[in-house]
Amino acid sequence: MNLAASTATAHTGHTMAERIAIRDLKFYYGDALALKGINLPLYDRKVTAFIGPSGCGKSTLLRVLNRMYDLYPGQRAEGEVLLDGENILAPGVDLNLLRSRVGMVFQKPTPFPMTIYDNIAFGVKLYEKLSKAEMDVRVEESLTKAALWKEVKDKLNASGLSLSGGQQQRLCIARTVAIKPEVILFDEPCSALDPISTAKIEELIDELKSDYTIAIVTHNMQQAARVSEHTAFMYLGELIEFNETDRIFTTPKDQRTQDYITGRFG
Amino acid sequence: MTDMAMTSHAASAASAERAAVLQKLRGGDTVFYWMTRIAAVSVLGLLGAIMISLIIGAWPALTEYGLRFLTTARWAPNAMPDPVLGGLSPLVGTLITSFVALLIAVPVGLGIAIFLTELCPPRLMRPISVAIEMLAGIPSIIYGMWGFFVLGPFLADRGLGGNLSLFNASLILAIMVLPFITAISRDVFATVPPVLKEAAYGVGCTTWEVVRNVVLPYTRVGLIGGVMLALGRALGETMAVTFVVGNSFRLPTSLFSPGTTISAAIASEFAESADLHQSALILLGLLLFVLTFCVLAAARLMLARLAKKAGA
Repeated sequence: MNLAASTATAHTGHTMAERIAIRDLKFYYGDALALKGINLPLYDRKVTAFIGPSGCGKSTLLRVLNRMYDLYPGQRAEGEVLLDGENILAPGVDLNLLRSRVGMVFQKPTPFPMTIYDNIAFGVKLYEKLSKAEMDVRVEESLTKAALWKEVKDKLNASGLSLSGGQQQRLCIARTVAIKPEVILFDEPCSALDPISTAKIEELIDELKSDYTIAIVTHNMQQAARVSEHTAFMYLGELIEFNETDRIFTTPKDQRTQDYITGRFG
Repeated sequence: MTDMAMTSHAASAASAERAAVLQKLRGGDTVFYWMTRIAAVSVLGLLGAIMISLIIGAWPALTEYGLRFLTTARWAPNAMPDPVLGGLSPLVGTLITSFVALLIAVPVGLGIAIFLTELCPPRLMRPISVAIEMLAGIPSIIYGMWGFFVLGPFLADRGLGGNLSLFNASLILAIMVLPFITAISRDVFATVPPVLKEAAYGVGCTTWEVVRNVVLPYTRVGLIGGVMLALGRALGETMAVTFVVGNSFRLPTSLFSPGTTISAAIASEFAESADLHQSALILLGLLLFVLTFCVLAAARLMLARLAKKAGA
């Protein structure tokens, strides 16, 4: 049903604005070339899914978008990634600021070792001076957006680690949303979750896209089909095919794409 | 197995053989179990034996002075007609030197560990790590000599007490426990899941904010353990301290005056002591034992409290 909805938007979306433009992106782990010249747009307020077998570079690509790779010596990127026209790979880009504009949700839930309230407030405090009342509002807002407010509103002072896995993941989404990013990156956000939590997260992504540009890495092709408008299929560090999601899944142009989505390899 | 035996003769022979082999292995397991168990229990036995012999040795002094031993600063084993022996000054000296040593070594050690795990360029990592390990490998008598011949005159020239002082001893102790604190904190910092740090960087934290809000809270149990281990070493360190502390049984008036510590007092006097004097020295040893025990207990209590606060 979601697929039908996204098909409709994809077909009417010819005038979609590019929020992020990836231009001839090469990525190296030391001497090993992991991304071999990727060209890809991410459209404003749309969900783009990256699929492909393990090791194809989809997570690497995601980690370039907020320059998470910068934490590790020996990893480097060449080419351009334009966020609103500004190259984020350029030297002198303020990484802390960049990461506040491009939020990330990880494979495993990563609540900080502090209370639920502080998990949200922590990131906000880095950029904004809010009064206690304003912060309360922001925390409630973010938790509501992440569909978690009802479950935790009576225990905001409990440790973030006391929540279930699915709740922790929604807490991480709330935390990301709280700092009002423009882009949210999801790195296999459901692979550690049960089906019910997965459904909740997917629903959430569907709602979040009205405000944010979203990129999601997933191993689950049904998930890609359900949540995304566009899908990029990657293989061995190359972008094999990029198109509207329903095109990719119904009439792929490349044989390798077809083999992958029909389960012949990967 | 009996079910199998009924199905066929051959199967029963095979299963009997298997049972015999298993029986043999099980015998080995039993021996192994008891060997490890005896090894483990012998630690308790040893601890008890040391405790008991300390109490027996300290008994004469304990009955003579009782709790007064803890409040008397005078140490006059040859006083007439009766010797006066009080453990206050070594006790105070031990506490002061260890505390000041930690005050210096903990921030520096944590700083080194944080630099090594979060900030250090790979090229610098090995030299610094090796230097720390070598610092841990230097025998304590070398530290003592260095403190006596180099650090003492250096401090005296700058008006920071005489050659021999509690401050000198504290500095030496700080240098000696530094590698412990650094090595342990580096190891526990390495246990922070990279993804948790990435998440913190992901909301836009600087390295300092990641360390303060994620790394330190996540590793506090291990860190406190490391500090307590260092404190235990500082409390008991003998040779280096004996060299530089001055071995003066007067109640120290300042950090820069000479003093003594429990272990230094025992080391410098035990050889020529007898009777009540010797018993008093053993009583000091018992005191150190109890002190160390209290430190460990306090650390446990603190950890339990922190865990309760975090898990509520």
